[in-house]
Amino acid sequence: MKVLLVDDEEELVTTLAERLGFRGIEAKWTTAGDEAMALTEQEPFDVVVLDVKMPHLNGIQLKKELERIRPEMKFIFLTGHGSEEDFRIGSAEADHYLAKPIDIEIFVATLKEVFRS
Amino acid sequence: MTTTDSDRWKAVSAESLRFFGAMSAAVSHEIRNKLAVINEKAGLVQDIAFAVKSGRAVDPDRLEMQAGKIIDQVRQANRVVGVLNRLAHSVDAPRTRIDLADVIGLVTELYGRKAAQGEITISAVVSANPVSVITSPFLLAALIGGCVDAAIPKVDDSAVLTINAEAVADGATIRLQNLAGIEDSDVELGGQDSGARAMLEMLGGRLVADGRRGELVLEIRNCVGPDGGRQL
Repeated sequence: MKVLLVDDEEELVTTLAERLGFRGIEAKWTTAGDEAMALTEQEPFDVVVLDVKMPHLNGIQLKKELERIRPEMKFIFLTGHGSEEDFRIGSAEADHYLAKPIDIEIFVATLKEVFRS
Repeated sequence: MTTTDSDRWKAVSAESLRFFGAMSAAVSHEIRNKLAVINEKAGLVQDIAFAVKSGRAVDPDRLEMQAGKIIDQVRQANRVVGVLNRLAHSVDAPRTRIDLADVIGLVTELYGRKAAQGEITISAVVSANPVSVITSPFLLAALIGGCVDAAIPKVDDSAVLTINAEAVADGATIRLQNLAGIEDSDVELGGQDSGARAMLEMLGGRLVADGRRGELVLEIRNCVGPDGGRQL
């Protein structure tokens, strides 16, 4: 399974990528929407994990752009808000939705579930 | 208290609650992001420890680096909590003499993330001579916050919203600079009946748009209390 992590918090995505590596999951990361699009042009990912709120392109807009490039990709939204409104939007727009801070084992299980779906 | 005063207080109370809620939500979001990083960093240290127990060679510098980053995130989270604490305590005194550098600094920190989302920075220019005014610290912070909200979409190509203050007779002038296409409608602050406008009136203030200089100009007069007229 190949995963792309997109979040403007660099320390979060780099650490998550490293932790997924310990669990045998190949993960690339970026902090910017335009770089996420460039990476997706270069190679397909099975699951893309997106922060809902990011500068320039937010997660929902970026998801639409990435879907145009690779319609087969699956998406998980991450958010630091955890409000009812975010949950409603996140659940409606992505294949799965997780609130930060996340439990790595739940995260891995969710990745595998979304990948298989 | 007249009906008009009562209506104004209601509008100010509602706007105060909205501002405090918005700031609390922004700060709690930032704290949650820091906690998320701390959570992952601590988890990575566990992963590394587990790998060592399993007989894998791990560079000790890797552990030391992660521990250092956890400490750094805790320090950042503590600073964010401090900002919320300063806002919370700004309601302690309904009216007091305040250094505008303090309140502008507070608003700058509160709006830092929102500004970053809009890919701009906010720069508070501190004068060599302290500029102070007698007013409500919380209401002034909320009012400057309303001005920052109005200014962020108008910041010019410099991508820097500059805020500075200067003393004038009986008060101070706060300028939000580097704005493009600023016009009178930008000083409506939600309309004539809005809570922000009521705050402006209550603080004896005036807000004008200077399109030629690209500035929002907020003039605040000293609130001298019940015996002196304008009261809070």
